[in-house]
Amino acid sequence: MASFVHLHTASAFSLRYGTAFPGALAGRAAEHGMDMLALTDRDGLYGAIKHIRACHERGIAPVVGVDLALDGGPASRGRRADPARIVVLARSGGWAALCRLVTAAHHAGERGEPHVTPGMVSEHATGPDGEPALTVMLGPRSGVGRAVAERRDDQARALLAAWRSVVPDLLVEVVDLYGYRDANIAVRMLGLAASMGVPAVLTNAVRYLDAADHQVGNVLDAARKLVPLDGRHLEHPTAHAYLKDGAEMARVASRICGGDAERAALLLAETRRAAERCALDPVEIVPLLDPEDPRLHLPEIGEDPVPLLRHRCEDGLARRGLERSEEARSRLAAELTIIERKRLSGYFVTVAGITDMIRSMGVRCAIRGSGAGSLVNYLTGIGEVNPLEHGLLMERFLSEGRRGLPDIDVDVESARRLDCYRAILDRYGEARVACVSMMETYRARSAIRDVGAAMGLPPHEIDVIAKAFPHVRARQIGAALTDLPELRASGLNDRSLETVFRLAERLDGLPRHVALHPCGVLVGNSSLRDRTPVERSLLDFPMSQFDKDDVEEAGLLKLDVLGVRMQSALAYSLREIERVDGLRIDLEAVPHDDPATYDLIRVARTLGCFQIESPGQRELVAKLEPRTMHDLIVDISLFRPGPVNSDMVTPYLEARHGFREARYPHEALRDALRETNGVVVFHEQVLRVIDVMTGSGLSEAERARRGLGSPEGREAVRAWFVPLARARGFPEPTVEQAWHVLDAFGGFGFCKAHAAAFALPTYQSAWLKRHHAAAFFAGVLTHEPGMYPNRVILDEARQCGVEVLSLDVNHSGEHWLVERTGPVPEPSPDGPRVAELGRGYGLRVPFSAVKGVSDAEVARMVEGRPYTSLADFWERARPSRPVAERIVEVGGFDALHGLRPGEPRWRPGELTRRDLIAQIGTLDRGAAGAAGQLPMAFTERVTPGELPEMTEAEAVEAELAVLGMDVSRHVISFHDELLDAIGVTRAKDLLSRRNGAEILVAGVKVATQTPAVRSGQRVIFTTLDDSTGPVDLTFFESVQGHTAATVFGSWLLVARGVVRRTGGRAVSLRALHCWDLVALDRLWRDRGLDAVRAVLDERPAPGAGVGGRPLEYGNGYRLSPYSDNGAPPAAREGRFLAGSGEPHRRLWHASAGSSGPPPGR
Amino acid sequence: MSRLYGEPIEVWVRDGRPAQFVWRDRLYTVREVQDHWVVVREWWKTSDADPGERRFWRVEAAAGRQVGTYELRFDTAADGWLLLRAWD
Repeated sequence: MASFVHLHTASAFSLRYGTAFPGALAGRAAEHGMDMLALTDRDGLYGAIKHIRACHERGIAPVVGVDLALDGGPASRGRRADPARIVVLARSGGWAALCRLVTAAHHAGERGEPHVTPGMVSEHATGPDGEPALTVMLGPRSGVGRAVAERRDDQARALLAAWRSVVPDLLVEVVDLYGYRDANIAVRMLGLAASMGVPAVLTNAVRYLDAADHQVGNVLDAARKLVPLDGRHLEHPTAHAYLKDGAEMARVASRICGGDAERAALLLAETRRAAERCALDPVEIVPLLDPEDPRLHLPEIGEDPVPLLRHRCEDGLARRGLERSEEARSRLAAELTIIERKRLSGYFVTVAGITDMIRSMGVRCAIRGSGAGSLVNYLTGIGEVNPLEHGLLMERFLSEGRRGLPDIDVDVESARRLDCYRAILDRYGEARVACVSMMETYRARSAIRDVGAAMGLPPHEIDVIAKAFPHVRARQIGAALTDLPELRASGLNDRSLETVFRLAERLDGLPRHVALHPCGVLVGNSSLRDRTPVERSLLDFPMSQFDKDDVEEAGLLKLDVLGVRMQSALAYSLREIERVDGLRIDLEAVPHDDPATYDLIRVARTLGCFQIESPGQRELVAKLEPRTMHDLIVDISLFRPGPVNSDMVTPYLEARHGFREARYPHEALRDALRETNGVVVFHEQVLRVIDVMTGSGLSEAERARRGLGSPEGREAVRAWFVPLARARGFPEPTVEQAWHVLDAFGGFGFCKAHAAAFALPTYQSAWLKRHHAAAFFAGVLTHEPGMYPNRVILDEARQCGVEVLSLDVNHSGEHWLVERTGPVPEPSPDGPRVAELGRGYGLRVPFSAVKGVSDAEVARMVEGRPYTSLADFWERARPSRPVAERIVEVGGFDALHGLRPGEPRWRPGELTRRDLIAQIGTLDRGAAGAAGQLPMAFTERVTPGELPEMTEAEAVEAELAVLGMDVSRHVISFHDELLDAIGVTRAKDLLSRRNGAEILVAGVKVATQTPAVRSGQRVIFTTLDDSTGPVDLTFFESVQGHTAATVFGSWLLVARGVVRRTGGRAVSLRALHCWDLVALDRLWRDRGLDAVRAVLDERPAPGAGVGGRPLEYGNGYRLSPYSDNGAPPAAREGRFLAGSGEPHRRLWHASAGSSGPPPGR
Repeated sequence: MSRLYGEPIEVWVRDGRPAQFVWRDRLYTVREVQDHWVVVREWWKTSDADPGERRFWRVEAAAGRQVGTYELRFDTAADGWLLLRAWD
């Protein structure tokens, strides 16, 4: 007998409903011996491609449908009540119709609440040739099912008849989940179907893989409906909605048919027939399943793209001055051969057209990633990196043997990213372009929030509990509670929260909501909407329901247009230089060998620069001492978890500085490895090594390199590599040694093309910092490209000699503005000192930095300048009352009204900030009472000196609260007396301390990071800032027992540590203990200095450190489960400016592995 | 009219459904299953990881010549049967 087919199956891609992933469902179906499986997720086809691939892999025929809400007419709209739902399946060949129906459903409903009407379904249900394209199933949740349940048989009959008249392929779906009356309803639906002559099918309305998943389902029901868990909110009160096997389903059939075997067999046969009508051809929908000749859906160019691309490249040779270069010509010919064989000419022509367009809009645009390795990209102007200059290979980007499509990524100014999207949409039209989506999934914090809410915990408690965890996966919650000292001590680990945590772990990785991918743009042809469903993103962009992997699998081409804040910062800096100094600078034309710039980098004054500002990078550049662009490329490549952990850094540095000879496994490999002194740093070198040793060519080498990522892959590559190398006559030890190098570093190397693309903005930012410091900081402060909060950047600006000018209603602008404050000092012959870099310039705090100010208010404030008084400002800029008060608090009117905070506080007859704040109250009441009736003169009158002035401490406190930074004074300066009394060493004096000395340091916490380190420990790196420079502290696991909670939870810290010299000019401290400075200060005031000394003298025994087994890699590379995964934050894409760019009120940088403040503090 | 009991009983199960049970020292033979449904316990109100489910059976059963309708309940966590109600 043919197997049963589940026609109604929700996967985890039914958001906050399903619990199992498509792969697991397909796997289970295969285990049950089923030869077909449908996926019918709620509201979309988010999981469809994954389902089709999973089915294909297991030899199962895929069926795809969607479970859609029905618009019940005006009466039901807006009601929170459950809408009726129907299931629509694509019949074989009906994929396009299904995509278009889903798209239409999303356009009809509110965003996030798609729905259909019978009319819409009917419109799509028939194909152009009159053949039915869709199958509609009406189950217990449909209007028909509900009428049956309520025993309104006439209504059920009428509804079914109405559907039958508009949909050619209609089915009644019977379901029995063993709930109270389920069987009863199923029996009557079966009767109704028989009497109306509509075929009936049996499904299990699957949403679980196993019955045990029902608790997760219950939690999701509550989370979706925003209600606490209660019997009446559950969608399925039983645990039976799991993927049952054929025998179980036969029992269900028999039960519904009252034990009548013949009728049961009929029901199952009808189900099978329906499935067979709907089996899809996987390769048609997922062309990449056909590795030989995938059918791509390229954009239409309007003419033959092959000669077009050839012409553009030819022009490029001339423009780049490479006409006579034999190397360039032969490389170009090789690249074009592969591009044309893969029929990708049109893709390159399209991308070149898009980058041209972006630049013509005046937006900075740079290539990133492996695409920089292609000469075609350089010649067509897609990128500015010449691959020949840096020895970059195209095979890393696009090669003969590579499955899938090449990925061209371009970076644009983050503030203009959406403008770029709009321009692309305008040029190609909405029918051909869509953004790519991505699924946000449950992680520890979000899972705890949703489960906590479902279990009815008070919201503020949920907030405290969730924030206590670092950003780890949900399934690590239990482990984190026992592993991490700060959580062990938190009291969260008690029985009352056990259920919350247990369930939160079960939500691990489930998709939570769909969001716009930060950079992917799909450029297709006019059939795009036959291939992917499209919904609206939050910002109203058309957005495919497929994620970036699905898009590629579906044979659609995408371009990554990434918003990079540093590009915005650079553009802003250039505009400020032009505005203030009248200089037009072409950053692309700046020579790449400016010694002054490299001098700045070598002394690690890189705060604010792209990629090289983190504490670890500052340490590395100080040791590496870059002098050329190539050094920067190596530096960026070395600073990643892999190389750091595999200890590639030390041998490279030793050879670089001549402490030891560069070593090569074999003379033949010298060429490939010379640029990095024998150490494998780049993917490109891995390719060359493999090519030299095996003679297999670079394309084949690239395929082998990809295999090095996994242990099984490495075995396979080894089995292929070793015999080939031996056959080429390499002696056994050389082969072994070469293999060892590949084995250890191959998986961790970095794509040199990517590093080369990154090194450009790195250099450009450092160049600007060196030569136009004030404008550089203005750009960085305005666009916040890096890891540090603005108060740290501002302090760096101050240390570079730039004056920080407080908010002034008559001088501040929308963004940070540069002002000339005095003469620029003549440069001394050996170049200016760091403290002189920005001399003669000031930075003006902008209106937009004020907490809570709206864009419209900022625009009015800027528009209305100059102002003659507070009342004038109030009248014309029309700020909200709290915003006006905040502006006064941080000194926005000091210049206008001649105010200054500080002593004496009582100044009879002299105006104070507090007087002005009081005046705002009067103005506000005046406006509220009788608009426009109070004469101006009345409100203008302020009694001066009625209220006391703010102290300097209060002023700084207000600056921190309102602006998120200390403008007038460094906050640590208020504690100078105590710090001097206990003998704290300042950052500027650290270099004079001997190695191994035990000292006290203090400062404002600037950053905490828990990066991957060699030992596999969780190590906390913390940077303090004490107004004289940064202090870098390292907390190893042995001291985290008594320090972790303070490090993560406090802002002002005092720490005891051992001096460790790390380079010529670099010092860091191994921390032993740390304290909250504010607490010490209180102790000092209450109990005196001796009490503080007693606390500082405590020597807690090294406690139990961080638990958790490190993840071990084949080559001995170990990783703490709590280290930040992926690249260090600064090397990641950075934060993306989403929408309007809410100003960040962060006071310090915390990496993903950092815990939040512990509860109860 | 049904009467409520809630008394523990012993049940013999055949093919996944109750076939015979002993209640108050009398043996009842199940003649027909009239209804069967499942209710999952409200697990979030207890501290047990899985409080299990309750399976209800409404059956027509006979003890000798006396025929009646009985509602039986099986609790998976307690692994025990109760006779909940009887219409006899």
